Amino acid sequence: MQKVVTISLNGIAYQLEEPGYNQLRTYLERAESRLKDSPDRAEVMADLEQAVGEKCRAVLGQHKTVVNTSEVERIIDEMGPVESADEKEKAAEAAAASGATASGAGGSTQSDLPPPRKRLFQIREGAMWMGVCNGIAAYLNVDVTWVRIAFILLTIFSSGLWFVVYLVLMFVVPVAQTPEDRAAAFGMPFTTEELISRAKKNFEEFGQTHRWRREWRRQQRHFNRQFKHMNQQLRMATSQAQPVISQSARAIGGVFIPIIALLGAALAVAFVLSLFSLITQHSIFGWGLPHGIPLWVAIVALVTLYLMISTSLRMVRHGGHQAAGHHAGWGAFHGLLWIGFAALLFWVAYTFFPGVRELVDSLMWAANLTATTISETIV
Amino acid sequence: MDISEKLSPIRKGLLEFVILKVVAGDKVYVADMLKLLGPTEFATQEGTLYPLLSKLRREELVDYEWQESEAGPPRKYYKLTPKGRTQLSTLNEYWKNLNKTLADLGN
Repeated sequence: MQKVVTISLNGIAYQLEEPGYNQLRTYLERAESRLKDSPDRAEVMADLEQAVGEKCRAVLGQHKTVVNTSEVERIIDEMGPVESADEKEKAAEAAAASGATASGAGGSTQSDLPPPRKRLFQIREGAMWMGVCNGIAAYLNVDVTWVRIAFILLTIFSSGLWFVVYLVLMFVVPVAQTPEDRAAAFGMPFTTEELISRAKKNFEEFGQTHRWRREWRRQQRHFNRQFKHMNQQLRMATSQAQPVISQSARAIGGVFIPIIALLGAALAVAFVLSLFSLITQHSIFGWGLPHGIPLWVAIVALVTLYLMISTSLRMVRHGGHQAAGHHAGWGAFHGLLWIGFAALLFWVAYTFFPGVRELVDSLMWAANLTATTISETIV
Repeated sequence: MDISEKLSPIRKGLLEFVILKVVAGDKVYVADMLKLLGPTEFATQEGTLYPLLSKLRREELVDYEWQESEAGPPRKYYKLTPKGRTQLSTLNEYWKNLNKTLADLGN
């Protein structure tokens, strides 16, 4: 048994099976957005509706009153992708302008283009707050819960600094508004059907998520308390250790501080990259998870490892600073060193990991778009 | 690069010319145009044809008139305008020259 949707095409009613209706709607929505710059949009849309109607009529008869899904699929196939004639002209002009280099590439028109490039968007549907995590999850094709956990952990470990990243993303990354945007956010052919089922699923999970969120907050508070306590103890331990540090240790401290700072920076970047790799590829730079270990265990293990190493490094550095007895200028130099090294590592990641590059390019594109929009609004 | 990939932009570029030729005779309905072009190299689909026809109409090269049909709502029948006819003869001339050039080259 199939649910039937009644639609009107150019003033004539047709009955379509629901999945077929969803596909047709997506086809027409996509056609409309393809034609959005064409002055003939309304007319072409009416023509297309009429053509679809005629094709529907051809499959209907005295004892067949409903167009089934496979028939709708065939009709959409027959209609072919809608390409604006003006767009084609523009493409031809661009090809002519680029001259000799246009030998092959210039001729490719809309229908030859690959599916829309994956882009980073904020997705408000099913978002906790602004949908930044949701958009990243769609982009990386992972469950949004992992992205949220990563954001919360990063916020905790960076003493809240990471939250600024969220705020920046919130203002820089565009909001997915049209079905086309959402399709681009997922980087895959998008159907209204998918969106509807996603919306249904999210609605069902809403109540559950609420409870989960309360529990998570409680855990987070508890963790914060423990973390503060641990820090305090650490500080006490180092200050007690200070009188023991001898003169020679001071000299060594001066040499080792930059090295330790570099190690710390490298560790932080390596941590973020391996977390990224773990979530997206379920392996750390090609080093797969041992069989039978779930992803969440691996993430917790990674975070714990990072925390252990970075805390001990910090402890050593703390002691070293006091031992070497450096003044304020040293702190600035140390900071610069950190930033420089982080930038270097970032460059390496950008150059050698296509995934990282795509994400960064996408962010740049989003920033550009925002800048253009702002300047357009002002002018 | 595949040979058919090289030929596809040529076909696409010629489609406008082909459409003008198709509507040059009697008034035609889009479904009939598709049927006519189907077996040729210029086989196309509604998704391409409707936007193209609307553009040609905006350029006043073709026009349409409504005609009642026995089944369903009235249909648009396309025909060539005088301006379209002039352009078609220019294109025909150009095509002939092109053919001649191609035939003469390398001989």
